[in-house]
Amino acid sequence: MADALTLSRPAARDAGAVAILGVSKTFHVENRTVHALDDVSLAIASGEFISIVGPSGCGKSTLLRFLAGLDRPDGGRITVDGEVVDRPSLKRGIVFQDHRLLPWLNVEENVALSLRSLAGAPADKKERVQSLIDLVGLTGFEKALPHELSGGMSQRAAIARGLAPRPPLLLLDEPLGALDSLTRSYLQDELLAIREREKSTVVMVTHDVEEAIYLSDRVVVMEPRPGRIAAIFDITSRRPRHRDDPDFVATRRKITDLLATR
Amino acid sequence: MAATNFSAASRSGIVARALVLPAALLLLWVLLDALGALKGGIVVSPSQVFGTAYEGFADGSLPGAALATLLRALTGWAIGALAGLVFGLILGLSGIARNLFDPSISSLRQIALFAWIPLLSAWLGNGEAMKITLIALGAFFPMALGTQAGCQNVPAPFREVGRVLELDRRATITAIIVPAALPSILVGLELSLNIAWLGTFGAEYLIGTGYINGMGDGLGAYLAAAREYARMDQVLLGVLFLALIGLGLDRLVLGFSRRLVSWRTP
Repeated sequence: MADALTLSRPAARDAGAVAILGVSKTFHVENRTVHALDDVSLAIASGEFISIVGPSGCGKSTLLRFLAGLDRPDGGRITVDGEVVDRPSLKRGIVFQDHRLLPWLNVEENVALSLRSLAGAPADKKERVQSLIDLVGLTGFEKALPHELSGGMSQRAAIARGLAPRPPLLLLDEPLGALDSLTRSYLQDELLAIREREKSTVVMVTHDVEEAIYLSDRVVVMEPRPGRIAAIFDITSRRPRHRDDPDFVATRRKITDLLATR
Repeated sequence: MAATNFSAASRSGIVARALVLPAALLLLWVLLDALGALKGGIVVSPSQVFGTAYEGFADGSLPGAALATLLRALTGWAIGALAGLVFGLILGLSGIARNLFDPSISSLRQIALFAWIPLLSAWLGNGEAMKITLIALGAFFPMALGTQAGCQNVPAPFREVGRVLELDRRATITAIIVPAALPSILVGLELSLNIAWLGTFGAEYLIGTGYINGMGDGLGAYLAAAREYARMDQVLLGVLFLALIGLGLDRLVLGFSRRLVSWRTP
């Protein structure tokens, strides 16, 4: 329900806890049955930053679409704060890899669209939109159309749109995958700063192991055929992390070795 | 600044190149006339045509005919395109409406525009109402089709944005479906104007010469009369006017469309 969420709601502190219970999904492609997900279970605590990595076909994006409520599993169930996910909701913000800004709306209008269905005074909404645009560093580009933005700027606008309704759970589907490495590492730090401020739970799908270790509290490694969880790595070192720290390097080695054998 | 200058320069270059062929034909025509090759009577001389044009403008018959045709075309187009827009939106947005009307509309679309003449003249006579209806009918189908196709072919990623932002039906239509359909709607608009323009001439030429209503007016009637009296100079003039005004209308709508969908990546 959109009305359960209002602009004045303080940043989520104890919300955004996810329970994934025995989730399965099969696709039928040309008379073959593909087990995209086979009995996947995972509990995510409120405020946690989780990354899901794995080769293509391991079902990581399918799982994220289930969390968003865009598709539904054949079996098992997903709850967020005890509520079964059966359709999309503003309580679960999602940022897609292909930014998906509406090309006919400028940055400001794109971000404001995410507040359209929420209760609240227009002035408050305007303020919220502006604060988000400032937060992602797009001040001065409020009136720019998506085709006038670089890839990195578009993705920032998409992140602002995902964050604007203050979702307790933020879902990121390879949000930085299409960016060059410089913009990428810059936005990774921004993601951490934003998440620190907004205090939401984050689930990010990525194919970049280093990015996953750099950002996450836990890295979930998935494997394909059938799609399932292979291992979960706790990343306990303090942030900001350094990519040449011994334990960073060791964890990266373990994960890439694991991925190489699958 | 430099970019503007460049595009302005290249635009005048494009215009200049577009004029090469007409200028060459004109030159050839003048040359053939000067060599005395146009004595047959089927092909008239350039000076004759310019003379007729001068007379036509002097007595107002030529601009009058052009204006009558233009007004008729625009009236029919406005009615037909508006009806097409409304119908296309309903069909594009509602599955039930689509089930109800789509098969009928698709069959009606197969009827050639001028095949409606016997039916329409039986119902509406051969006067102005009949001509406007025929033109509107011609404009209706491309507009309805373009609008419907645009609404139905909204890319799934954009629809998903509407779903994750929990937009209600109304917001989904105004913020996502109609803007996404706009390029296709505008193609329908361009096509409907084109058909309306061609249909107007046909209506004037074929219906205006009816024995009951006399010659009627407009470029169609002008051409019909010119043919009747074997005036090749007037035939050429009429055709030239049809082409030039049609081109002007087309460019006008194209410019308007480009402005409306300026968000599209160039």
